Amino acid sequence: MNFMRPTGINPFLDPTDRYLAEIAFTVQLPPSLHAKADGRYAATRRHLEASAFFADGIEHFYPQGSMAIDATISTRGTDDEYDIDIIAQLSARYRRLGPLEVLKALEDALADYPVQEVIRQTRCVTLVYGDRMHLDISPGFRDVGTDERCSHIMHAKGPSRSDDDHEVPTNAYGFAEWYKARTPVELAVQEAFRRKWEDHLQVQADADVDEVPDQTPFVVKNMATLALQLLKRFRNIRYEWLGRKGRMAPSVLLAYYAARSATPGQTLTDALLNLCALIIRDIETASTLDRKLSVRNPTHYDDVFTDRWPDSVQQQNEFAADLRMLVEAIKTLRSERTDPIEIPGILKRLFGDYVVTDSIRRMAKATGSSIQGATQSYTKKGGLLVPAVVAATPALATPKIISPVAATRHGFYGDPIE
Amino acid sequence: MSFMPHTIEEQAAAMREDWPSFGYRFDVKRDQAVWLGPVTPHNRTYLIEVAYGIDQVLEGPSVRVISPRLTRLPGNAEGSLPHVYNRDRDPVLCLFDPAGAQWTGWRLISKTTVPWAIDWLTCYEFWLMTGVWDGGGRHPPSSGRMFTAENPT
Repeated sequence: MNFMRPTGINPFLDPTDRYLAEIAFTVQLPPSLHAKADGRYAATRRHLEASAFFADGIEHFYPQGSMAIDATISTRGTDDEYDIDIIAQLSARYRRLGPLEVLKALEDALADYPVQEVIRQTRCVTLVYGDRMHLDISPGFRDVGTDERCSHIMHAKGPSRSDDDHEVPTNAYGFAEWYKARTPVELAVQEAFRRKWEDHLQVQADADVDEVPDQTPFVVKNMATLALQLLKRFRNIRYEWLGRKGRMAPSVLLAYYAARSATPGQTLTDALLNLCALIIRDIETASTLDRKLSVRNPTHYDDVFTDRWPDSVQQQNEFAADLRMLVEAIKTLRSERTDPIEIPGILKRLFGDYVVTDSIRRMAKATGSSIQGATQSYTKKGGLLVPAVVAATPALATPKIISPVAATRHGFYGDPIE
Repeated sequence: MSFMPHTIEEQAAAMREDWPSFGYRFDVKRDQAVWLGPVTPHNRTYLIEVAYGIDQVLEGPSVRVISPRLTRLPGNAEGSLPHVYNRDRDPVLCLFDPAGAQWTGWRLISKTTVPWAIDWLTCYEFWLMTGVWDGGGRHPPSSGRMFTAENPT
């Protein structure tokens, strides 16, 4: 079979891409925590299976949402809290209990689990770990005779049974597979982020902060997913800064649009702009007809991604306005006329203060140390590239971009400080 | 190494080879070779002028940013515009330490001055964003003069 993998573009090559990629790097789930999350949900499954109630009663235990598509970022406006979503597919024999009792049974089975807190929510049970990772376990049942992993999960507010308790159709697995099929691995993106994480972990190890794993098995693999992470971060920051109440546009909805707008080989900036444009267009169309946006899981018609958001046409218009603001800000960043002094402020309004400060400081230090060590390269347009970017740039592109002029050591001097 | 420093013609040939987007003219009034060209170190494209006369074999070419106008950060710990000479009137980028024997007329402008100017502009852009000059270097004491080798590190 003639199978071509898209090469893609190194997301640290273009200047605007580089800011965005650094910010995505700062907010995304680190590989060490990804491995920890894997271990935790496997351990949780073992704990449940060892309980009398759920012995032999768990058919599948699999990640859903961001964890299933490698798009996890820190929660809401935080910088180091992560939510990991898991589906616990239970044996059909528990289904007769009803939504609330299933959620309570799961809560009871986890009551003595060694975490900081176990919280029963409307659709899941949350395990809160000491390092602020949250594992959200949604109990569900497979719909017999349907496509792969078409299921229902439970919905019950509690504390008592209510007429509002119901089962919600879902196919998180099918959606994740659909997403991955539409966002193929872009080798340049994968390689750039693999190197980035390895360099970062090496620096941490040098500082005796952390152990360097033998390899970094998890990295974001394409621009569409990076764009998705940035959009989620932007959505979180807007809600946080404006003190908005109510639900945000759900991550699964944004992931759906990220997959639809994915075009292998585009820059990160273009991926983000195209993603925004597609959502804005669909919201405008719905609003023109005075309808709420309606999006379904492409692998399961009954799974409605917009069942809890938007609440109103006004709420979706508010989100579209946010996206237009994001688009304008990205265009300003990319503009030749923008003074670098304005860039941190623009980025902070989009992605939050700490994350942007940290990202720019990291870029500045890496670049400065490269200049001091004369390890940088130059582009034919008079640009400067740090070694990690050059190393991760596909070989074919290198002679077109890189100047043969080599860096040499020199020290800046000048007038005395006034 | 040749006994004589590179001639203007040799410098001009190397510039044509390494930075073909730079224009060249000989300014008879200033008695200097002048190259004018764009560089895009990171964010913006800068038009820079590199001027070099045969009497600059020791002091090195002078590099000015023609456009856009350089932004200043008054009160910054590195000065309102770090690592330049003639800061307040007509800033000339200071790209090498005179105590370090980094520039000599036996070196090519295309392989030293131009990439060093790109380094300077890159550091300048990050300095505008963070307030910190990460590219290293040193400042002379307040009594320091241009092109002297006082207080070498």
